[in-house]
Amino acid sequence: MDVARLRKNFAQVAEHGDEVPLFFYSDLFLKHPEVRDMFPISMEAQRGHLVDALVKIVANVDSAADLTVFLQGLGRDHRKFGAVAEHYEAVGASLLATLEYFSGPDWTADLRSDWAAAYDVIGAVMRAAAQEDEALRPAWWRGTVVSHERRSFDVSVLHVQPEPQLDYLAGQSVAIESPSRPRLWRYYSMANAPRPDSPLEFHIRLIDGGAVSMALTSSTAAGTELRLGPPVGVLTLGQPVPERDILLVAGSTGLAPLKAITDQLTALPQPPKVHLFFGARKADGLYDLDSLEKLAAEHSWLTVVPTVSSDPRFSGETGSLPDVVARHGDWSGHEAYLAGPTQMVQDTADRLVAAGVATDQIHIEDFGWSEP
Amino acid sequence: MTTAWFDEQSRMSPEELQTVTFPLSRLGRRGYDEDAVRDFLRDVHANFVRLVNERTSLWQEVQRLRRRIIAGKANGDANGALAGEADGHVHAVRVLSAAQVTADRYVADAQAYSSRLTEEARLRRDEIMQEAQRYSDMIMEEAHAKAREAAVTALNAGPSPQTYQEQQAAHAELAYLRTYSDVYRAHLRAYTEGILRGIEEWERKDATSIDDGPRGAHIAALPTADRNGNTYFE
Repeated sequence: MDVARLRKNFAQVAEHGDEVPLFFYSDLFLKHPEVRDMFPISMEAQRGHLVDALVKIVANVDSAADLTVFLQGLGRDHRKFGAVAEHYEAVGASLLATLEYFSGPDWTADLRSDWAAAYDVIGAVMRAAAQEDEALRPAWWRGTVVSHERRSFDVSVLHVQPEPQLDYLAGQSVAIESPSRPRLWRYYSMANAPRPDSPLEFHIRLIDGGAVSMALTSSTAAGTELRLGPPVGVLTLGQPVPERDILLVAGSTGLAPLKAITDQLTALPQPPKVHLFFGARKADGLYDLDSLEKLAAEHSWLTVVPTVSSDPRFSGETGSLPDVVARHGDWSGHEAYLAGPTQMVQDTADRLVAAGVATDQIHIEDFGWSEP
Repeated sequence: MTTAWFDEQSRMSPEELQTVTFPLSRLGRRGYDEDAVRDFLRDVHANFVRLVNERTSLWQEVQRLRRRIIAGKANGDANGALAGEADGHVHAVRVLSAAQVTADRYVADAQAYSSRLTEEARLRRDEIMQEAQRYSDMIMEEAHAKAREAAVTALNAGPSPQTYQEQQAAHAELAYLRTYSDVYRAHLRAYTEGILRGIEEWERKDATSIDDGPRGAHIAALPTADRNGNTYFE
């Protein structure tokens, strides 16, 4: 396989921009109309995903190890969408047709066989990972909403009973699909540690214009059946649980994974000391404070610090979450877990590093493909 | 007739039509008028020429289209010919793509509308909350002032027959304020719930799925999910 030739051809095809994925999906749906139903109505985001994946694959096509991890994740991830072996063939054929169409007179038999060979490898790795995964767990779990509680204007807390049992690590997330928004999956963290026969807790924040969050916060009553994907994420305590004291910094519904971690610690015979900072813009954004204060009252090792950034009337800590955390003492001996808005997480991490916390002691969610 | 009109092997040309001759009929027998035949032949010839020209140009057109198909296939020309099976497919792909782009635009519009609606509701809610806060502050201040006044009056006047009545009046005022506060809160709640119901109703009516937009480097040829949950938003 001539990697340089492959890359050159891809770069040339990519110059046609959005036309390329547009052609690919139209070709796929015309040849296999039954596949259309696996995708959402709007394909705009989907086309971006396809191009991103292709760019990543072509860039890493000669570093097999990295690519394999990525493709295995992709293969496992596609199970919940209902992807089966035949779909891989259909996708491969449409991919070749698309490349041929946009290559024009530069399309050669050699290019064709190079691309076909590359896709065979990609498809085989994805299918093998999917098959392996099939033996371990279902493609998706049925999740029946047990309760739906609106805690504030834009935050709801859902309890969802999975079927069959869903094993995960505290701090992980699952993709959720709502029946009123078919084919749209969004990731949400469980807010409690796994316990057999116990429903999962989710904290859903309404995002302006967000289809899934809108459906989950407003039109999801008890009894609604959701679909849950397999658990993913690396924001976990790890094994063994660290002996250092723990700093948890949660902005808004970023609380969910950190509450799950706290919940996990309650089961330990001798938990480390835990400081949990829970921040919001206004006091009514501290949607789960009651439950946290109850936990703190029950466990002497847990300190909860509610923080509000723009509400001078608030009686507790006020200011930006990174500032409040930074002025609350020396965290250098702690393992820090951060979750919340991207900017807040980044700022807090920077402040902690500046204050002498080693970077390998700072844990944030990695949105790449590595799974623990 | 000496020319084989129906012989497919040697198809007649307009030139041959011009050279065709008819033997004269024998004297005394009835025959066509020579001039009339010649005029007729001239007309036939003109028509014949026109037909041959038409046929040639049609043939050239066929050839031209054939060349365009071959060229279109070879260089992936987006404006290739619309004939042949392969071109029919490309045409269909283009039609489907155009429809998809239109659908995307509708969904994006709906999403923007939904976003605007939620934003407005959020702003309105902040306004209402602030207003409520102002009222609450005012009520509290008034109550404090009244209480202070009552306390001062009570201290200055000492026990007197009016004190009981004033106390009663203060109690009545307090009861009024409480009621007022309850009523205001009930109104506020009804209003907020009204807004939420409105959003839910709109939400129900709009059964189309709306994408949250691309977020994060999450990916694939087949459908994928975005990450915008607890650890990834704003």
